[in-house]
Amino acid sequence: MSFRLSCPSCGPRDVNEFAYGGELAARPQERPDVRELGSYLYFRANVAGVQREWWFHRLGCELWFQAERDTRTNEVLRTDACVSETQAPLADGPVEPADAAIPPEPAV
Amino acid sequence: MKDIFRTRRMWRPRGELKRRYDVVVVGGGAHGLATAYYLARNHGITDVAVLEKSYIGSGAAGRNTTIIRSNYRTPEGAAFYQQSVELYKGLSRELDFNLLFSQLGHLTLAHSDRALITATERAEVNQLLGIESRLVGLDEIAKLCPELDLSTEVTWPVLGALYHPPGGIIRHDAVVWGLARSADRRGVEIHPYTEVTGIERANGRVTGVRTNRGEIACDAVVSATAGWSTLVADLAGVPLPITTHILQAFVTEPLKPFLDVIIVSSQMHVYVSQTDRGEILIGAEIEPYTTYRGTSTFPFLEYSARHVLELFPQLESARVLRQWTGLCDISPDFSPILGVTEVAGFLVSAGWGTYGFKAAPIVGTTLAELVATKRTPALIAPFALERFSTDTLVSELAAAAVSH
Amino acid sequence: MRLPAQPGERLDRTRPLTFTFEGATVEAFEGDTIASALYAGGRRVFSRSFKYHRPRGLLCCTGSCPNCLMQVDGAPGIRACIEPARAGAVVRAQNVLGSLDRDALAVIGKIGGPFTPVGFYYRTMIRPRWAWPYYEKVLRNLAGLGRVDRHGRRTRRFDTEHRRTQVLVIGGSEGGVTAARAAAAAGEQVVLVDEGLSLELGGLDELGIEVVAPARAIGIYEGGLVPVDAGNVLLRFRAERIVVATGSLDQPLVFPGNDLVGVMLPNGIRRLVREWALRPGERAVVIAPAVEPIVDDLRAAGTEVARVFDLNERPPKEIVARGRKGRLASVRVDGETVACDLLVMSSGRQPAYSLLAQAGARIEYDAATGIFVPRDLPANVEAAGSVAGTSHAVPNLFPASAGKRRFVCLCEDVTTKDVRRAIAEGFDSLELAKRYTTVTMGPCQGRLCHLASVRLYARETGSDEAAIGTTTARPPWSPVTLGLLAGRGHEPVKHTSLHRRHEELGARMMWAGAWRRVHSYGDPAEETRAVHRAVGVIDVSTLGKLVVSGPDAVAFLERLYPNRFVDLKPGRIRYGVLGTDAGRIMDDGTIGRLSEQQLYVTTTSTGAEAVLEWFEWWNAVWRMDVEIVDVTGALAAVNVAGPNARELLGRLTELDVSPDGFRYLDLKEAPVAGTPCLLLRIGFVGELGYEIHCPSPLAEHLWDTLLERGADLGVRPFGLEAQRILRLEKQHIIVGQDTDSESNAIDAGMPWIVKLDKEDFVGKWALEHLQERGPRERLVGFELDGAAVPAEGSQVVVAGRPAGRVTSARWSDELQRSIGLAWVPPALAEEGSRLEIRLNGSLQPAVVRARPFFDPEGTRLRS
Repeated sequence: MSFRLSCPSCGPRDVNEFAYGGELAARPQERPDVRELGSYLYFRANVAGVQREWWFHRLGCELWFQAERDTRTNEVLRTDACVSETQAPLADGPVEPADAAIPPEPAV
Repeated sequence: MKDIFRTRRMWRPRGELKRRYDVVVVGGGAHGLATAYYLARNHGITDVAVLEKSYIGSGAAGRNTTIIRSNYRTPEGAAFYQQSVELYKGLSRELDFNLLFSQLGHLTLAHSDRALITATERAEVNQLLGIESRLVGLDEIAKLCPELDLSTEVTWPVLGALYHPPGGIIRHDAVVWGLARSADRRGVEIHPYTEVTGIERANGRVTGVRTNRGEIACDAVVSATAGWSTLVADLAGVPLPITTHILQAFVTEPLKPFLDVIIVSSQMHVYVSQTDRGEILIGAEIEPYTTYRGTSTFPFLEYSARHVLELFPQLESARVLRQWTGLCDISPDFSPILGVTEVAGFLVSAGWGTYGFKAAPIVGTTLAELVATKRTPALIAPFALERFSTDTLVSELAAAAVSH
Repeated sequence: MRLPAQPGERLDRTRPLTFTFEGATVEAFEGDTIASALYAGGRRVFSRSFKYHRPRGLLCCTGSCPNCLMQVDGAPGIRACIEPARAGAVVRAQNVLGSLDRDALAVIGKIGGPFTPVGFYYRTMIRPRWAWPYYEKVLRNLAGLGRVDRHGRRTRRFDTEHRRTQVLVIGGSEGGVTAARAAAAAGEQVVLVDEGLSLELGGLDELGIEVVAPARAIGIYEGGLVPVDAGNVLLRFRAERIVVATGSLDQPLVFPGNDLVGVMLPNGIRRLVREWALRPGERAVVIAPAVEPIVDDLRAAGTEVARVFDLNERPPKEIVARGRKGRLASVRVDGETVACDLLVMSSGRQPAYSLLAQAGARIEYDAATGIFVPRDLPANVEAAGSVAGTSHAVPNLFPASAGKRRFVCLCEDVTTKDVRRAIAEGFDSLELAKRYTTVTMGPCQGRLCHLASVRLYARETGSDEAAIGTTTARPPWSPVTLGLLAGRGHEPVKHTSLHRRHEELGARMMWAGAWRRVHSYGDPAEETRAVHRAVGVIDVSTLGKLVVSGPDAVAFLERLYPNRFVDLKPGRIRYGVLGTDAGRIMDDGTIGRLSEQQLYVTTTSTGAEAVLEWFEWWNAVWRMDVEIVDVTGALAAVNVAGPNARELLGRLTELDVSPDGFRYLDLKEAPVAGTPCLLLRIGFVGELGYEIHCPSPLAEHLWDTLLERGADLGVRPFGLEAQRILRLEKQHIIVGQDTDSESNAIDAGMPWIVKLDKEDFVGKWALEHLQERGPRERLVGFELDGAAVPAEGSQVVVAGRPAGRVTSARWSDELQRSIGLAWVPPALAEEGSRLEIRLNGSLQPAVVRARPFFDPEGTRLRS
């Protein structure tokens, strides 16, 4: 099947129980100009590597949490429910990929 | 006919890389090869290298479900794909290679009144642009596809459909090979197993590319690397509004002719056609999470099978022969990103979602024109990358994904 | 013809049975497969090949090759050699015109051969263009193998089971049994899945090992899921350890005539003789490594072994099989011709590593043994027995000889010449050649042709197998039916707690998202009249309902919506449009303030789940002191609307329902018909109305009481269709129908809800920019001259081009006009602007109406 995620409150579950919320994107702190706004709304790092991202346990406890997943392998390195206490927890942004090389030919 | 007795090379064996080309195309798929071909054919630009990190057609070009159509929702999209279908119609003859293009007709089923509205809208837009496309009722659907379960006992009875007679299927690999052969004959160099590892720039302009086989100087780089667009654009320092997702498909063991039309059901998240080899080809939607891992999943087989049998219960005993997965670029508005970027000389064909293969010839002609004339053709102007910085999207989505 | 009883044979000779093949009765025993019974009855030709319609006989007898594909009880592509013979089964041949023995299409192989080399279709039938559809029809009719009944129904019932075990052993090979025993001895819970080909599985259950057979592993998927095809049940296994013991597969030799009927693989011989007591032939030649067991099997069957060539000793330089009418007659090996009707041949055995490759193992060529072996197995996956790479095969054996076709791939009729030609044409990587020649792409999935094709490739390109590598091992490992994958095939449906009442009233139901809702109770026009003249009731239980509470509840909604809520007093309601941070409309509904710290939020019926997720997400980001509880299912809701609504409600509650006691946009909590209710005085349909929310279990009582007590007031239930007409008369939008993914509240004609002077809210910046830029299009009301109603989705046309679209349109009985909503260019959005709308292919004039068609001042609503 698809890979598994460990929900911080329910434990390891199949990915199909979760809704994907996308990579972390930093919301501007102040009024952006239209170009900056577009950058925030639409542009994505879309890394081939470890990505920090949102997940929602839709068919479970309905918790939003963050995961670090390697998008080249779908290996989930960690999940955690606790995001920053500040109003801009997204500021730390996506984690730099360990290896930004273009991934190999899909395995299947 | 005599051709079939002769063994003629399709293309030259891979040669050494030159130190310099006018144009470097990254990606030896349908878009990259079409761009190279039309550069040579329409503009006499033959000092072109197509760099492919694997074998030609190894990416989306060889993994899509081969459907060609132009019944899009937006006038911009429909007009664009209409020209693509026109080019496809003449392509076998032009390339002297039978691409096995069958315009079987394409039925998009509506199972809800909301879907009927979308179908009507598409039909009306299409008709105004001269595209054969219309709403049909159950009687006509039954004539076009007697095999389809049109009973009211199913959970989601069919209420009507958008019928698009010119829609069809084609042999995807043949498109790749035909374009590669013709491009090669006109002098374009095709370099499989040549991976781009860097894009050189100076003063905001592209000056060359680095590859696993050495460095190349060039004036223009065209990226046509669906699935990997972000990573290639990153090399040029160009951010893209794209996420990468997998799209899956499977075929059954070959069956005698069963289905003579393409059936699409968005309600059932499935599309079904029968290839010329007799396989029933079934595709679905992208997986919701981003990934570069092209692994097939089992739930995909389960839900696709469930949905196909809602439409075609008689396929119960058909057997799945092979499933596969490709990578897709998904753009925020489901329309492509085509043309110039903030780096002069770096052009992209990206963000195709699940529609890229249908556009190959028109992408080739328009990008070739852009490279040759340095002017963006009007047909692709709405698809500029710049639209995401000015918030002027071209939405192929009928309704916000969140409230659908 | 059967041999005397063989030790360990599968047959139960006391239980004969019969089935039919092509209409003729076939005798079999319990324990036979369809193929073994047919073989016993003298049948030697079991199929016709895909392209050339050459006769093909039994080859592997293990379900690995395409040679015995048949149609059984209507199901195509059945491997007759592993399909148990069942009494009464109806078996037919596939892909023949006429019969298996006289297939008219064999002419293609005889004369067409030279004209149909690999990829011929790419080079022919190009001109004239108009002729291609005719050629194609012929091609399509020739392609394909089995048939499905065009008008068949689902006939079988399949189930899905989720299973867990500590150790899952796939394959009852010797290695698998050993691994299973060891694991059981160590106290582990073990399940062994076997295709049913192994005879040595007795006694395992006494060790506590659960044996599932006959059953086939479909694949090893991400996350370690192993789905298993166990007939009518799909078992989805998850195990702590997976032991793959799928063994190894006989690999055919490639030589002229290698596809003749009578050419067989050693394992096939073994099964025919030992399991079904059959004599595979009268006079045999053996060409293989490890010849002794084969000779033993043949002798046991009484087959004369005419000549034996041991490949381990001296590989022959020439092998040519000759046949008569497709059946083997003689073999010439290095100049020596031997008459025979059976040729047992093999180049050795290749590990059946596909499952391991799917699981993530690297596949590597081992020059010492001449086979591809799995390496670097992923964690928790093990290989046991010969699949780990203990077998071997004779490398690079392509005896040179001119003449007849040598088949590399039996499924697709691909010859060595085809492959050679493909390489010469430039298809010089294995993946490209695979796609061009289609070698390995047939039903055997490369089981019998992958190794040979790689060898041929290496030889023709002057490379070696290690450098050529393998192609991707795509699932499924064994072909699986759509029926099994689909299981019971249920689609989710949501019913409201009043569903039964609607059915009793004979309502016509329709889909609204996953909900079944009432379209109408027969006459939508009559229903609108009831609402306008008397009173109507509609089930709106499908609305999403959220209770947002806590010290930050108001501040939370203030940040989520473009509306202002700080000044919303307890007991009051406001209409809100929920937007994304891109300023696009995502949902709408009402927000009622229950108390200082508690608000009641309703959403659209289809948007409920998305809104809940949206709220929860922003709360995860902001971490405000709020609690969000979804009460969508817990509460039912009925809207009571019409001039008599007040009178009706007054009869059922103690509440002061006077115009001043219960004002428009008031929210009250009170019992109605003895039921605790939340009452919202709102008016989506444009008349005086109350939305009554009550506990779902009490909804029928509330509904019944409303209809009973309102009978003299002319109460009437109404459905969605009437509601759509009524709300359109008021130009109230439906999110998702009148808006799309690009619509924003300002352009949609609701600038009054957008409070850009608020400090911040989701979508504020985008809406500021959108306002500065000005609208690209605007949503307006329109009315049409005449009675015609444009279909929803019709286009507003300017200068022959699509310039806008009709999102809603209906005939209003009340107004005696055709009315609607449309997105139009800003220049055409003013009151009285003339539009042209395309209707049945011609343009109809329409006029923009910026204000509600009905009761524009809202006096009835507020009455």
